[in-house]
Amino acid sequence: MDDTRTPAVDLDEPLGDPREMLALLEKQQRQVTDAQIAPVVWLYFIWGIAWLVGFLALWSGDADGNPWFTIPAGVATPLFIVLLVVSIASSAVIGMRINRGVRGISSFSGAVYGLSWSVCGTAFALLGTALISHGMSTDLANLYFPSGYALMCGTIYLGGAALWREKSQLILGLIMLTVGAAAPFAGSPGNDLVFALAGGGAFLVVAAIMAVRLRRNR
Amino acid sequence: MDELDPVIHASARLKITATLATLEVGDQIAFPRLQELLGMTAGNLSTHLRKLEDAGYVDVIKSHQGRTPATYLALSRTGRRAFEDYREALRDLLGESA
Repeated sequence: MDDTRTPAVDLDEPLGDPREMLALLEKQQRQVTDAQIAPVVWLYFIWGIAWLVGFLALWSGDADGNPWFTIPAGVATPLFIVLLVVSIASSAVIGMRINRGVRGISSFSGAVYGLSWSVCGTAFALLGTALISHGMSTDLANLYFPSGYALMCGTIYLGGAALWREKSQLILGLIMLTVGAAAPFAGSPGNDLVFALAGGGAFLVVAAIMAVRLRRNR
Repeated sequence: MDELDPVIHASARLKITATLATLEVGDQIAFPRLQELLGMTAGNLSTHLRKLEDAGYVDVIKSHQGRTPATYLALSRTGRRAFEDYREALRDLLGESA
């Protein structure tokens, strides 16, 4: 405990009114929950932008993609990779801040959840590399990689939803699984447009709904 | 109707116990983070934590992170039960059943 003690002031006085005390109790617990949710909104926002802009860039970088304009593939792919790397880095930083100052039983859940992203990401990348080395074409790889990652996101989000009883992760998890499974039917590069709009859009809509709710709770 | 628990029935200590009750059983929170979540001065928080500790409601765990001393806090089993009873008593008073 801190050693600089000052006498407790008016907060020591009971409010007396049970209604006020219950309201104070609920408000305080809501503020604590909101303080944990606020960084998650940023995570969804960052990933929403990364998916929307990144996949739109890939779609526009393909001659068979965007009918309105084409951007050079030499720009589209690096842009996609930069957005991905920035999002992964900010996720790691924000993710570590969510439960900061708390240690104990939930640290294990948090650590396993955090680790599952890098472990699963590596596994999906290795599988893709193996498939390419056994003759998977560029067209098929363009279907496999984004879907693989969307299915991975969806599955891990479902795990997160179960761990923390968190509905936003449940909703996003189901959407990611649907988008990841359905997008390849659009072929390549049509699948990029599906990921941009349905995937990126879902992140942004969920982030917006959560941001509005947090603002209302203040 | 039982009297409302005087240890918790003060707004500062109610806010502290309510915050600690959001932790999972088995988790502890660092003093600075608790202070941040409560928006209280360190001195004021220490005073109230001492009262909660004296009542056996809060466990104070002193440890070190490297060379820096760190204090972690959690509701004791008694404290968690007292908080739940207190909330229940409030709801009873207001005619709300839990």
